[in-house]
Amino acid sequence: MSKLLHFKGASDMPMISISLGNMDWNKTGAWRAQRPFYEDKTPPCRAACPAGNDIVAFIQKITQGDFEGAWNVIKEENPFPGICGRVCFHPCESKCNRGDYDEPIAIHALERFVSDFASKLNKRVEKVPGVRKEKVAIIGSGPAGMSCAYHLAKLYYDVTVFESLSLSGGMLRSGIPSYRLPKDVLDREISNIEALGVELRTGIALGENLAWDDLKDYQATFIATGAHQGRSLQIPGEKAKSVLSGLDLLRRINRNQKVKLGDKIAIIGGGNTAIDVARSVIRLGKKATILYRRSREEMPAFEDEMVEAIEEGVKIRYLTNPIRIQQKDGLKRLECLRIELGDKDESGRRRPVPISHSNFFIEADSVIIAAGEEIEVSFLPKGIEKREGIILTQRDGSTGIKGIFAGGDLTSNQRTVAHAIGSGKKVALAIHGYFNGKNTEEVIRQTLIGEGPSISIFRHLHPEDRPMDSHVVTFGELNTDYFEPSKRHQESKCPVKQRTKGFGEVTVTFPESIAVEEAERCFSCGTCNGCENCYVFCPDASILKTEDILSHQVDYDFCKGCGICFSECPRGAISLKEETR
Amino acid sequence: MKKVITGNQAVAYGVILSRVEVISAYPITPQTTIVEELSELIASGRLNTRFLKVESEHSAMAALIGASTGGVRCFTATSSHGLAYMHEMLHWASGARLPIVLVNVNRAIAPPWNIWSDQSDSLSQRDTGWVQLYCENNQEVLDTILQAYRIAELTKLPVMVVLDAYVLSHTSEAVEIPTMEEVDPFLPPYCPEYPLDTHEPMAFSVIATPEYFLEFRYKIQKAMEQVPEIANKVDDEFRSRFGRSYAAIERYGKEEAEILLMTSGTVTSTSRMVIQKLIEKGTSVAGIKIKRFRPFPSEEICKEIKGAKKIAVIDRNLSAGVGGIFAQELKASLYSKEERPQIFGFISGLGGRDITPGLIEEAIEYTVEHPRPEEKILWLGLKK
Repeated sequence: MSKLLHFKGASDMPMISISLGNMDWNKTGAWRAQRPFYEDKTPPCRAACPAGNDIVAFIQKITQGDFEGAWNVIKEENPFPGICGRVCFHPCESKCNRGDYDEPIAIHALERFVSDFASKLNKRVEKVPGVRKEKVAIIGSGPAGMSCAYHLAKLYYDVTVFESLSLSGGMLRSGIPSYRLPKDVLDREISNIEALGVELRTGIALGENLAWDDLKDYQATFIATGAHQGRSLQIPGEKAKSVLSGLDLLRRINRNQKVKLGDKIAIIGGGNTAIDVARSVIRLGKKATILYRRSREEMPAFEDEMVEAIEEGVKIRYLTNPIRIQQKDGLKRLECLRIELGDKDESGRRRPVPISHSNFFIEADSVIIAAGEEIEVSFLPKGIEKREGIILTQRDGSTGIKGIFAGGDLTSNQRTVAHAIGSGKKVALAIHGYFNGKNTEEVIRQTLIGEGPSISIFRHLHPEDRPMDSHVVTFGELNTDYFEPSKRHQESKCPVKQRTKGFGEVTVTFPESIAVEEAERCFSCGTCNGCENCYVFCPDASILKTEDILSHQVDYDFCKGCGICFSECPRGAISLKEETR
Repeated sequence: MKKVITGNQAVAYGVILSRVEVISAYPITPQTTIVEELSELIASGRLNTRFLKVESEHSAMAALIGASTGGVRCFTATSSHGLAYMHEMLHWASGARLPIVLVNVNRAIAPPWNIWSDQSDSLSQRDTGWVQLYCENNQEVLDTILQAYRIAELTKLPVMVVLDAYVLSHTSEAVEIPTMEEVDPFLPPYCPEYPLDTHEPMAFSVIATPEYFLEFRYKIQKAMEQVPEIANKVDDEFRSRFGRSYAAIERYGKEEAEILLMTSGTVTSTSRMVIQKLIEKGTSVAGIKIKRFRPFPSEEICKEIKGAKKIAVIDRNLSAGVGGIFAQELKASLYSKEERPQIFGFISGLGGRDITPGLIEEAIEYTVEHPRPEEKILWLGLKK
């Protein structure tokens, strides 16, 4: 405290009332009735990401121009950014709060940009020596199996992956056409996992050249064999030799095998496989017509894919239900019924109701059925059974047999790449917990982001990292005064004429400048990004900058609890509670 | 260089030439184009000044109080309700002895709603400790801003430069615009006595107990008393550099006149013409233009009115219950003097009604014809 001066009169007084001391002694924080504090909340994008990507964190790195840092962030949770950035249905973007403001962030495009940037640098994941005694066998090298292998290897386990086909990747390789996912992107991300020391043994099929007994050296097994069987339509004529399954056709095209097809091709189904088949045969110079029993609104295929398919000349006939496939002189005749939509069914979509006596015929040279996929279970050991089309497991992926876990498309009807990646990660955590005698359900509960499906292995491994409340930030909780409207950047695409000529990639990765601009649109919901609004607005200069995990903290000696920092934080990263002192 | 510009543009030129570092303002008609002009210059990169957007005039002045304490030259402009809203901070600026310059474009205060010229807004702030300078034309507007910074920084008192809505703010006239090189030596950079420095924290405007408060106010009054002398010196230097001069009051017309007409703002321009005409007709009349309202130029006025029998004052303002404010101030100035002419207090032109040559002539004729005013307030052009 400064010394009190005494003056004789105006002549020896200063011009203004001023203290050369300061007010540090006056701890005005004692007046506080409410207490602000920094507390990250859960961003909705991340809570929605089945693969558990730390989206806000990697986008922040992009805004800083630290693309390698962004890659490192993604790799903590997901070994497949190049794949997810291309083929994921990005539920993160559907939940993006910016969507309520103008347009959601193009998260998938940013993830893809980061992956492609890293590949240009020839960035590899560093090899981790398997130092633990436990060995894990993984059956199936699709996204679930490889994600599990990746995380287990990073936890120092000895991992071997068995793949029945001659090439790894599962559905990523056999089911997704290369105009959507180029093979070199897949190869690069799988080889990254191998680089960790994961052993990949292809051409080995359980129940054929591998028996369950052969796996007894492994203390845990993860079954992730996917769903590769085309679902039957249960209509007469579908078993005819010349009627193909969509998945079979895609597998053959993807392996550069010859396919015999007529000129006019009818594809039955409304999912992504139907679209993939249609766009693939267009690239083989054929005419493709999709027959779907409901309307566009109910179609399960992703909107972007449908738009691209229609651009490329795919025809879609809605409200059309084939009931019989006839064959005459090499030409197929599909007898169909017209459909009208009834009430909503349990999936929330309107039920297709056939109109009686509305029979009509569609002619085609080839018919391809893409009406969904089913799992193959014949090789499974006794005690693991299929129910309602999937293998039922506990929440941690464990089956009825100790040490055997299952995941991916085999155990879920949400058959997306991101779900498979998340499932593999969850089982890696479960196996890690299982080996260490932990309550695996509890381990997984603690790593949930928001309410799930997202889980974070990083949070499990780094409990000291900045805490994040499970509350998912809503649009209403943001202070949007600090955001300016801006357009979402679109990835450019090859011209239609060029792309239908072959299987080259349709979409082009963002250039650096666009990636940074798009990243800068991110609201960073619930996550302090050091914007310093709190620092600027605090009327008591009670926001301190720190070198800690949280870059700012409140100086409670002087904070009077006015709450301005709380209300001016654009992203809801500051909380306010009653002072209970 | 001469340019045909509006009064508001003249303000902007004045601000640019004064090398103002921080501007904070909130738009209000008829002030808006001043700030528009300046903010566009800043946005286009042609003016290297920090523009602080604020949500109110109260905040605008508060922001400048911070900036000025930090030791930079700063500026704001407002009108009417905006100035009224600033009231608390006006006291703060003068109490903290910050040389802030504010331009007020005179506009009536509602209700009834009105956006036209009227001095009630600036005169309502007469007791806030600000120097107030009223302008007659656009050239004077520009020049007064340059002088205002000089006076403010020498006396550590804030200065309000006042111009009439529309008659000056939105009307174009030819204005001689000095160059930066000419202005720089006239207006050296501002150096605060107690600079705010975060590395050496000090507490500003701390409490002054009854033991000392009176003395701080005494110091402000002393600073006000220095204004006439400092302003004269500043004006002398200005005249020598730029060839133009603005005294606190200016007498024109007949050298020895029985009747004087006192006006402020643009009414003076009209009065010059009317008085010239009446002198030609043989009336013994002269005009007094009053530029500085605070501190009120009592001594200067007493010197200029020697020999006059009657003084007509036209007030474009009304202190309800008393009358015109300039007339009141004049009466108070004369009370202690031996020579006390009759004061005729006219009220006219409120809310932007034109004060025409006819009305001014009517005021002078009334003064000529009456030995003393028949009423305390003489309403010019009132529709009864």
